[in-house]
Amino acid sequence: MTLRKRRDPFGFSELNLVGHMEINGNREAVVDGCSGVLEYNSQTVRIVARGRTVRFTGRGLTIRCLTADALVVAGFITSIEFLN
Amino acid sequence: MLSLNLTRWVIGSVRFSVIGGSPERFFSLSARSGAYLWDIAGAPDAGACVAARRYRYLRKNARRSGCRLRVRERHGLPFLLAGTRHHPGMWAGAAAFLAVLYVLSMQVWCIRIAGCETVPPAKIEAALAAGGLSQGVWRKNIAPEKLAQQILLQFPELRWMSINPRGSVAEVEVREKTEKPQIADQQAACNIKAAATGQILSIYVSAGTPVVRKGDAVVAGQLLVSGVTADPAGGSALVHASAQIMAETVRDVTVKIGLNRRRYELTGRAVVRRNLDLMGAVIPLTLQTQPKEDNYEMSCEKADVSLFGTMLPVGIYTERWEETRPVDYVLTREQALAMAKEEIKSQVLDRMESGTVLSETDDEKWSGGTLIYSASLNCRENIAEESEIFIK
Repeated sequence: MTLRKRRDPFGFSELNLVGHMEINGNREAVVDGCSGVLEYNSQTVRIVARGRTVRFTGRGLTIRCLTADALVVAGFITSIEFLN
Repeated sequence: MLSLNLTRWVIGSVRFSVIGGSPERFFSLSARSGAYLWDIAGAPDAGACVAARRYRYLRKNARRSGCRLRVRERHGLPFLLAGTRHHPGMWAGAAAFLAVLYVLSMQVWCIRIAGCETVPPAKIEAALAAGGLSQGVWRKNIAPEKLAQQILLQFPELRWMSINPRGSVAEVEVREKTEKPQIADQQAACNIKAAATGQILSIYVSAGTPVVRKGDAVVAGQLLVSGVTADPAGGSALVHASAQIMAETVRDVTVKIGLNRRRYELTGRAVVRRNLDLMGAVIPLTLQTQPKEDNYEMSCEKADVSLFGTMLPVGIYTERWEETRPVDYVLTREQALAMAKEEIKSQVLDRMESGTVLSETDDEKWSGGTLIYSASLNCRENIAEESEIFIK
């Protein structure tokens, strides 16, 4: 506990789960710091971002573009879950 | 979005399908290897788009994720150009086109003159051509400021000129001088004399000493108002006399109208010659030659071609030679009289600056084929005329 507090005294690591994420309404999510796609279909997009798993669920989901550290998910997003 | 699509079109893009294996793993590996994927579709019809030159690097990732790739569509400039790889003539033609375009863009092809009101633009254009600015000259050989100064010296009616070469267009801006109004000299001493013989109807003197009165008869050149004024102390001074003296005058005008006339009528025969003016070169478009007879009237017209307001170095010059024939005719009595009256009216208007015609007495004589028409006009006009007093 002491070691963790010394490394991250303000608890930023707890807040900054997946790097930087921008959500435009429920139609688009831009994830910065994405390192891989785990699952991808029109209902679910599961990605890894900064060692955490994020799951987007909705309808007609598509990955509009994908680079080494960013991803854009578009579609009708109904939920975003931060797993493990 | 347009610029993004344009960039993708220029660099070329490939749409491919990912068959079998784990498409998610393939996408992750590809992204990690530096590929930029877009329009990614999930299972069961997994696929994506990638820049054309990155496609071959994706095969290794496909093998690692147990997938096979298949190209579905190819878009962009590299694929269009690939079709011309075995046609060197097209490349040579394109290179020649670019070379010609580059060379032509270093020359002036259009001269646009703006701001001329009284000076004809054609005269300025001719002066510019004499000074070295004409269609087809190299832009680097133009010295705009020196040439503008040279033209200004040639045309005293111009106040300012600027020559601005912009690309292949030379824009010539011109400003003309404003005429200085003639200022009447109100300081020099002068008398007022009679401009015509007549009887004075009214006198209004604003400066000077009147020497005639209303009702007096005067002859042309007679002193009416003296520029010498006497003061109460017995001294005298010279002033610039000024007065309006209205008088009844008589003006006799005679005109001669010949009854036998000749006019030239068009016969309907015409020769039309057309030339194409292309970048200063004149190319005849018709095989017609210029008529050698004298009984032709020539009119010419130049149609310039412009594109989006920019005049192009292309134009069609049309010469129209129309045959005429002389037709002799005789004026009728009424026509001759009307013409004579019109002529007298214009002559009187020329002689009298201001005034009105009170009455008119006409006399007509017919001598052979000529009408001699005389008119004696009683006029009311201002006969005051300044006459400077010269002092040595």
